[in-house]
Amino acid sequence: MNLFTPLMLTAMFILLLPIIMSNTQLYKNSLYPHYVKTTISYAFIISMIPTMMFISSGQEAVISNWHWLSIQTLKLSLSFKMDYFSTIFIPVALFVTWSIMEFSMWYMHSDPYINRFFKYLLMFLITMMILVTANNLFQLFIGWEGVGIMSFLLIGWWYGRADANTAALQAILYNRIGDVGFIMAMAWFLTNSNAWDFQQIFITQHENLNIPLLGLLLAATGKSAQFGLHPWLPSAMEGPTPVSALLHSSTMVVAGVFLLIRFYPLMEQNKTMQTLTLCLGAITTLFTAICALTQNDIKKIVAFSTSSQLGLMIVTIGINQPYLAFLHICTHAFFKAMLFMCSGSIIHSLNDEQDIRKMGGLYKPMPFTTTSLIIGSLALTGMPFLTGFYSKDLIIETANTSYTNAWALLITLIATSLTAAYSTRIMFFVLLGQPRFNTLNLINENNTHLINSIKRLLIGSIFAGYLISYNIPPTTIPQMTMPYYLKLTALAVTIAGFILALELNLAAKNLKFMYPSNLFKFSNLLGYFPIVMHRLPSKMSLTMSQKSASMLLDMIWLENVLPKSISLFQMKMSTTVSNQKGLVKLYFLSFMITLALSLILLNSHE
Amino acid sequence: MSMVYINIFLAFIMSLMGLLMYRSHLMSSLLCLEGMMLSLFIMMTVAILNNHLTLASMAPIILLVFAACEAALGLSLLVMVSNTYGTDYVQNLNLLQC
Repeated sequence: MNLFTPLMLTAMFILLLPIIMSNTQLYKNSLYPHYVKTTISYAFIISMIPTMMFISSGQEAVISNWHWLSIQTLKLSLSFKMDYFSTIFIPVALFVTWSIMEFSMWYMHSDPYINRFFKYLLMFLITMMILVTANNLFQLFIGWEGVGIMSFLLIGWWYGRADANTAALQAILYNRIGDVGFIMAMAWFLTNSNAWDFQQIFITQHENLNIPLLGLLLAATGKSAQFGLHPWLPSAMEGPTPVSALLHSSTMVVAGVFLLIRFYPLMEQNKTMQTLTLCLGAITTLFTAICALTQNDIKKIVAFSTSSQLGLMIVTIGINQPYLAFLHICTHAFFKAMLFMCSGSIIHSLNDEQDIRKMGGLYKPMPFTTTSLIIGSLALTGMPFLTGFYSKDLIIETANTSYTNAWALLITLIATSLTAAYSTRIMFFVLLGQPRFNTLNLINENNTHLINSIKRLLIGSIFAGYLISYNIPPTTIPQMTMPYYLKLTALAVTIAGFILALELNLAAKNLKFMYPSNLFKFSNLLGYFPIVMHRLPSKMSLTMSQKSASMLLDMIWLENVLPKSISLFQMKMSTTVSNQKGLVKLYFLSFMITLALSLILLNSHE
Repeated sequence: MSMVYINIFLAFIMSLMGLLMYRSHLMSSLLCLEGMMLSLFIMMTVAILNNHLTLASMAPIILLVFAACEAALGLSLLVMVSNTYGTDYVQNLNLLQC
């Protein structure tokens, strides 16, 4: 009996304390953000202890305390699953959130509702914890919906802006479509294995698991912004930068991937689902990388980068490597949050300027942000022995040496080189060259909160990959031997992407702006996907329902089929056929004379 | 043939003449049509009652029903003409336009 479960529960309970205290005087204090930040740092430190216990002894736990209700044969209880995935994810998420909280103490400093902002961020973190540690599908669904709601509230933080409200609503709608898949999977599991607990689902043997796995894939598509349900993620950049850093890069959008990872015992037997997942992830990663190449808003480029990395995680699940996908989730959180925080620092210093065409030459006034932006981009593209290398390079190697779909593999490699391309584009436009912004901005990155938070994530971006990979218990064995050209593939395409993008940027730097070609327009307008899909299906369904409701019965059947069609037909036919002139009296007279004549003639026959 | 039948037959011939020879109003030919129907009805009823053809007693009533339909049809045509031209003068029906 050791302190594994009490410490983990303490860590999660500590997170609830600021929410409970929100009715007291503490909430109206100006020290509340500081209080929340230290709470999260304590929770992180406390949760590191069970993680280290897990690393050294491999101990996993299931905490099942409160029996809520039993509906006939279904037993629902509050139960937490502390296995490999949740034990490692919780400290990572808490560390990243700690840095983001400290960052938003600087970023949202002038906001009058900063206490409410911190409360919302904390509620988001709590629901994310519920999602990650859930042992049954019902609790996972509670966490799932919770992160969706907090995402809505946080994207629409500046609710006076119409675009922010539209983006928040868009996020909710697209997530809702994914939730349909989730509920379908829950219903299937309820009727076919009579339980929503993972242990029971994984033990019972089913012959055809296509339906629930399709539902879970749809849920992951909605929550993790895969192709088809992806437009909400770039639009979600309407929220403040800390929200983008926390929700839409590290934690919420990986919930869909996490769900698929949780169900890996069911997915590793079903080849169809793996192929579907692989192709979906490959399409997503290529499409969003293409869209990221021509965007001009720095936050949108990073959002598309997130979407592309999510596609890569889904590809990893598709080649039956859930542990590698989980490793990529953990390492991706570090450098993506840091990239967002650097963008936030740049945006704030340039007086809320988000267009990269109006930034430039920031490497002299903001050296620290420049350093972290470059290191973050290098980690993202998989520079050897930084954080991203340990997960991304392993993924590419495993995909290269496995018996998989060649087309999906090829477009994943192309997307990897495009990652390097748009990262180079960000660095070129934002950091290098001559300044293109107003000269009266006071560029100051001297604040302790900003520097400390980015510094923590910087150290994480450099070392976390090595530390995590070195300390985790062994899982699936990575491929150790392969030809040298396969081993160097990721590095080669990344360097190719870097060089190509740098050459293009330098060559076109002082040229006149050409009219956009068709390919540019395709990439800049997000592949025309939001433009078409937001208007066309809704207009078509509304028109069809109007026509079938009002016109089908009334106008067509009652009015047009018999009465009006008969009259129209008769009139057309009579004008076509008749060639008379209407001399009625003449016709009558001739009739009478003929009748009289015939009677007289027939009677005088003797 | 007895005198009654000749009388009624003469009434029928008079109405037929009125149907076929009229000056301008379409209504007068419709009225004569009604007269023809009336004389036919009387002739049929008298013949059946005099010769005790009991089973054919339905025939005059059926004739009346069909005469009513036909009168309605004729009147609707009259109304259509009157809607278009304002009067029912038969010399208006020379244009053959609906």
